[in-house]
Amino acid sequence: MTGMTKRAMHALLLQRLRAGDPKAMARAITIMEAGGPAAADLHRALQPSTGRALAVGFTGPPGAGKSTLIDAFVAELRKRERTVAVAAVDPSSPLSGGAVLGDRIRMGRHTEDPGVFIRSIGSRGHLGGLNASIQHIVDVLDVAGRDVIVIETVGAGQSEVEIVEVADIRVVVNAPGLGDDVQAIKAGILEIASILVVNKADLPLAARTVRQLRSMLSLRRESEGNVPVIETVASSGRGVAELLEAVLNLAPQTPEERLARRRARVRRLVAEAAAAEVRRRIMERNDEPFQVALSRVEAGQLSVEGAARVFAAPDSDHDPAQFQQTIIRKRQ
Amino acid sequence: MTNVDARPLRVLVTKIGLDGHDRGSRIVAAYLRDAGMEVIYTPPWQTISGVVKLVTEEDVDIIGVSSLATDHLIVPKMMDALREAGLEHVRVIVGGIVPDEEKGALLAAGVSRIFGPGAARDEIVDFVTSLGRQSRSGRIDEFSEVIP
Amino acid sequence: MTEIAIQLPLPGFEQAQGEWRSQYSRQMRDETPIRNRSGIEIQPLYSPRDWSGERYLDDLGFPGQFPFTRGIYPSMHRGRTWTQRQLIGLGTPEDYNKRVRRIIEAGATAISLLPCCSGFRGIDCDEVDPVLLGTCGTVINTTDHMDRALDGVPIGEISTAMNDPSPFTLLAFTLGVARRRGIDWRSVTGTSNQSDYISHFIANHQFYRLSLPGSRRVLLDHIDFCRRHVPNWNPVSVVGQHMQQAGATPAETMGFTLSTAIQYAEDCIARGMDVDDVLRRFTFFFDISISLFEEVAKFRAGRRIWARIARDRLGAKDPACWRFKFHGQTSGVDLTQQQPLNNIARVSIQAMAGILSGLQSLHTDAYDEAIACPSEETARIAVATQNILREEARLCDVIDPLGGSYYIERLTDQMEAEIEGVIAKIDAAGGMYKAAEAGLVQTMIGESALAFQEQVDSGERKIVGVNCYRIEEDPTVPPADRPDAEAMHRHVEGFKAFKRERSQNQVARALDALARAANSTDENTFEKVVEAVEVGVTHGEVVGCLRRELGFGHPLILA
Repeated sequence: MTGMTKRAMHALLLQRLRAGDPKAMARAITIMEAGGPAAADLHRALQPSTGRALAVGFTGPPGAGKSTLIDAFVAELRKRERTVAVAAVDPSSPLSGGAVLGDRIRMGRHTEDPGVFIRSIGSRGHLGGLNASIQHIVDVLDVAGRDVIVIETVGAGQSEVEIVEVADIRVVVNAPGLGDDVQAIKAGILEIASILVVNKADLPLAARTVRQLRSMLSLRRESEGNVPVIETVASSGRGVAELLEAVLNLAPQTPEERLARRRARVRRLVAEAAAAEVRRRIMERNDEPFQVALSRVEAGQLSVEGAARVFAAPDSDHDPAQFQQTIIRKRQ
Repeated sequence: MTNVDARPLRVLVTKIGLDGHDRGSRIVAAYLRDAGMEVIYTPPWQTISGVVKLVTEEDVDIIGVSSLATDHLIVPKMMDALREAGLEHVRVIVGGIVPDEEKGALLAAGVSRIFGPGAARDEIVDFVTSLGRQSRSGRIDEFSEVIP
Repeated sequence: MTEIAIQLPLPGFEQAQGEWRSQYSRQMRDETPIRNRSGIEIQPLYSPRDWSGERYLDDLGFPGQFPFTRGIYPSMHRGRTWTQRQLIGLGTPEDYNKRVRRIIEAGATAISLLPCCSGFRGIDCDEVDPVLLGTCGTVINTTDHMDRALDGVPIGEISTAMNDPSPFTLLAFTLGVARRRGIDWRSVTGTSNQSDYISHFIANHQFYRLSLPGSRRVLLDHIDFCRRHVPNWNPVSVVGQHMQQAGATPAETMGFTLSTAIQYAEDCIARGMDVDDVLRRFTFFFDISISLFEEVAKFRAGRRIWARIARDRLGAKDPACWRFKFHGQTSGVDLTQQQPLNNIARVSIQAMAGILSGLQSLHTDAYDEAIACPSEETARIAVATQNILREEARLCDVIDPLGGSYYIERLTDQMEAEIEGVIAKIDAAGGMYKAAEAGLVQTMIGESALAFQEQVDSGERKIVGVNCYRIEEDPTVPPADRPDAEAMHRHVEGFKAFKRERSQNQVARALDALARAANSTDENTFEKVVEAVEVGVTHGEVVGCLRRELGFGHPLILA
């Protein structure tokens, strides 16, 4: 094996990945998790083959019964003979960088089913770049031929929102009586939810939770479309078939829709990479015209937004004199 | 060191066979997490084929099997299954209670070390860390050097 | 109920105490507070200040009198010694039979049967790698197996503890054997001592088979069936052992266990059963740690609290229902692998704590229990320990000998306050079932376990041979007693043949009936289990059927 060239190994990995070999899938995911040029290379090589799989994200506050629901959801998919991959994201300790990845254990039904590939992912404290890794991992699973990719993350905070945005369809799982029902809806989760689920719907407070969610949805703009609210009892399987129907209804149905979705995904990826790149540049710049501009912001002579527009402009790096001019013009 | 090698070690902590007492394995999982490793933790009663599937999918470096009664008796079968699946680079340690006269069979089957119930945290963590490096560098399958 | 200081009109008392205190402080310059396992601060000395006998009748009572703090019966061990009930189980039914007969010949009136781990897992012997069978328990999958295991054992006269969780197939087998031998079920006595599914869900997943709601249903059916058909059997044993072994403090353990008992009683009442009928047959099962005085206080407080709960909260009228009957097992968690013979001393102290606490039956661990299943020799030492405590130390001569001790009475009061605090927390969470489902209890236990471990790791809590008084030793793990492979193979082959030869029709019909009962609300699942094993349905088939209909028991694991 060591006699193979790196290039040949790379080609072999791709070939086996396309054939759906779980070992190749695992190795490719490892590369994506590690990031860096190898991941970027592999990601580029995968691009032409992506776009087939449906990515469904699940998030919600702890205690909502998300894992049980996903377990039942996956069982439902398997009943319909769809192949599945699950990417379960768990928070890593910000101190040690380690994590106990325990989501997999809640999918006890599927431990022997080769039609369900499960990978546990620690967030590793790179909250900024995690969603890029997740997108890369989704593409690996897509190219490997899985029909549906489930992304699971716990919580409903900003980082979870970013992770679940990677998915085409975002399911936000709530349960009644988890303290502050409204709290679970803050942090932009409602903005991106495609489907809202009220799990443990057999509890007495469930009806109230459903009402609360529906009234919050009615405050959204018309253009944002209709978000179904589905009641489930994950432990018994009730409502799970309905959830799957709702998910499939929202999936792209025609080749045009699939292409449009793919384009949207790529656009978003580029936007995020661009944002990261601009951020990096601005944080690292220290030349004089730049410092001058920052003083102008501090003095109230230049707004933060105005400065941002200038710094993000393509020519701001190259010609300090030109840049100076732009700043002066903005001031006037 | 490449990005891939700079990643945290991925360790599976599991119980195979019949015994259901998992207090010790949970403590070890916490030790390893606090040492910066990613621990995939399973409930007891995992099957050997289930473990092979998990180790494949999770790209695990090391397997820690907790055995308090007799489950160690089927560890050699697990080693065989790992070999058959092309996963022999994954190192295995056993923690718990193993009668002295049955330790030899485990080591002969390829288990790297057997820890008794009184093993100190540092001892476990240090050993797993060095074993993990061996596991990664000892990998000679078709995907071991895909990364530049 | 609990007062901090009691005023005494005793002239000179204050002065004498003051003098002692200043002399004491001078001798003890630097003192860090000492706390017991439940977190209660322990003083160097207790005096009439802490307890004066005024509350004797209200809070103690004489033995056999409400609130039973001093003992549930008037004569306690002086009248009838505690029951010695040693756990045994190994290999084939014949292996068990040999051992149990020897124990009975030696005078035991109570036996215990420990099934193979495969049984706990809910599967039959033909579904398991043979090398794992019968290593720590006996393989019993059918009524025939039970018949052979209990061959020559007078089940109508001896009390049996069946270490068997839902759906209690072992008892079903035993009832089948009783029927074969013409023994009236009313003479069958013993306890379903692993019926506490809530404690399994929380702290010992080894025993957890069916989903929480499924376990709840089957337990109620079991209680109902036994009430009507096996009235001298205790269908419920509320277990504190697992939680204490998982790290709950003694006070927490008692609080959780009493809360569980409340939950089960309320479930029975909601089902329409008469509370007296039900509580009369409640028993408890506890671990006894080496924290001697704390354990005595824990059990005395437990008796007092339970009497009030049974009478005042649950409304039972029969005084028999107010009595806190419990079996104690010395705690294996306190035993060490290092210098194992030291464990004999530990077990003696634990046993003494249990006896002084007024338990009804006792199991003493073998000194190597932490690392192996007991051999004949180590089991003999465990039993001898009890005999020495009884015959030589004469612990049975006086009822509640620690009663009246200023320390013990004060500590009993303090433990009572802690325990009631735990019960209140569980009440606030909606009861023990809900608290367990939500993981609240598991979290509390996890914190206590971690705190204890940290104390051991730091050396603050000393354990001889482990973090002090160590010696250079190679901890040896003795060779394990394994069942004879040939005999086990024959046993499994015999089982397979049995399955082939029984009436498949009858089996299918019985399993259908069981499934239907599980899905209805007015049929009794345990009754169907008893009927099913009569026609040769196996343990694994019963469990499998109920798992399908009522849900597989997945424990909640908080990573």
